[in-house]
Amino acid sequence: MDTRERYFWDLTGYVVVRNVLNPDQIAAANEAIDLHRDRIRIADDNLGARDSHALRGTGRPTMHDLLQLERPYCEPFRRMLVHPAVVLRLNVMCGTGFRLDHGPLLISGVKGTEGLTMHGAGEPHRPHVAYNHQNGQSYCGGVTVSWQLADVNPGDGGFVCVPGSHKTGYSMPSGVRTCDDDMGTVVQPAMRAGDVLFFMDGAQTHGTRPWQSERPRRSVLYKYASRSSVRGGPARELAPPEIYWGEDLVDGMTPEQRAVMFGPCSNHGGEVPFLAVDDNGVVRIER
Amino acid sequence: MGNNNYEMSAEERYFFDLSGYLVVRNALTAEEVAECNGAIDHFAELVSTRSVDNQSLSGGSSALKGAQGRKELTGMLGWPAPYREPFRRLLIHPVVVSRLNEMSGKGFRLDHGPLLIGAEAGSEGHQLHGAGEPFGPSVWYHQQNGRMYCRGVTVAWQLADVNEGDGGFCIVSGSHKTREPTPAGVRTVEDHMNLVVQPVMKAGDVLFFAESATHGTLPWKGAHERRSVLYKYASRAAARATGRHFAPESRWGDWVRDLSPEQRAVLYGPGVHTGDDFPRLVSDGRKTSIA
Repeated sequence: MDTRERYFWDLTGYVVVRNVLNPDQIAAANEAIDLHRDRIRIADDNLGARDSHALRGTGRPTMHDLLQLERPYCEPFRRMLVHPAVVLRLNVMCGTGFRLDHGPLLISGVKGTEGLTMHGAGEPHRPHVAYNHQNGQSYCGGVTVSWQLADVNPGDGGFVCVPGSHKTGYSMPSGVRTCDDDMGTVVQPAMRAGDVLFFMDGAQTHGTRPWQSERPRRSVLYKYASRSSVRGGPARELAPPEIYWGEDLVDGMTPEQRAVMFGPCSNHGGEVPFLAVDDNGVVRIER
Repeated sequence: MGNNNYEMSAEERYFFDLSGYLVVRNALTAEEVAECNGAIDHFAELVSTRSVDNQSLSGGSSALKGAQGRKELTGMLGWPAPYREPFRRLLIHPVVVSRLNEMSGKGFRLDHGPLLIGAEAGSEGHQLHGAGEPFGPSVWYHQQNGRMYCRGVTVAWQLADVNEGDGGFCIVSGSHKTREPTPAGVRTVEDHMNLVVQPVMKAGDVLFFAESATHGTLPWKGAHERRSVLYKYASRAAARATGRHFAPESRWGDWVRDLSPEQRAVLYGPGVHTGDDFPRLVSDGRKTSIA
């Protein structure tokens, strides 16, 4: 990762590396998807656009379990998992020992597919995905690597972000979140098939614009984390105390005691109880 | 410092943010202290003593050396009733929950422990470790817009007095925020620059410290036995211990068995206590390999 890339990454919160895959590699990945297109699931309309007017459209097509496809179709995605261009940069961005937290996930789109409201920001601080720069070393707890298997031209839509937002100390305005009044802050990087996008997932404000091209969108996202950060994926299933620690250790614990024995994960869907102390000094599950 | 009520006071926030540690006084009654000590005494045969020959924690420091290693005992939460009960109460004691909700955020979790650290007069110290520089993300301390975010907080319950000059826990106040490397003499306490503080505590007090602060142990000089029980907490999505489901197969399923070693390397679970054999990847931009 050269000094120009480091500068751009630290400044903006994303970076696009060009021409990482050759046409044969792009074709192999696309063929694997085409042959398994029955696994693509289409979400309900406007689940991602929510209250936005600018982002409305039809449901988003996605496909999971790309690493588990039968051979040889899993191979393109397994190569991407530890591609030299990825390892080289994640060792700088997240530190050595980085890991796949969840994914990969194909995000597709046809003309009119909805967007996704902007999310992530420097404020409020979210320590497991936050960005820090100190004495010449950058660090980010969560980085998503998005492989482009189709061109993304200016105005096509797809991935968008607010450059520099990983360093803001102010809350995101509502109009930026919905893209209804984005203040000119939202950028849609143009990319070619074979390019790979790195972005600070959670630290940087990012989302998706509705897809406008006649050519389908095809991005495959790998969600990486630093060695000590946990987002979702398998961690959520392994978090219950009897799984994370073992039945013997937590047997007979109260619900309040079990609450602090859940394993690490951030996207727990409210399954991890939070504790509070009432005025009488009694610890209770927060309702 | 500390008033033993069930919310963190403004004075406590100031002190913890400034210094990286906090002592809350009289969190346990004499009866509660006695109950904990009685349970430990019941399992006295399980207490181990570290060898100063091959398990020394003094790092070769002349200021930290001692005649014997520290004593250790674990497993309290899984002891049979009633012996586990006092330690399960400490796990979510209201004084702890009220402070950790602010220090580490709601949803904080036990990462590892509890661990009894004991010592007799003449026991060695533990070389100082932790610091704001180099940056340690697993225990990162950050303050922003009036809120603190500490990814690693250790809560140390005192089951015996720690008088001035007794030794035991020590800390470099404010070191969780430093951006300069810790001088070797401070780590070894051989040239401590008058920066190393040993908090005075009574049995029943509870100590909170940011794991990112430079801390360690001074040789124990008290005539009585040191007894401190440490619970290692983390914020919701931080991991230091690797847990029972660290191996790729344990997390993702049997399909990972036919992956290459390099592909498997990025599918291990979270945690920084990986051991030396953990595979870390390197790349020159053309090829990925295990370091």
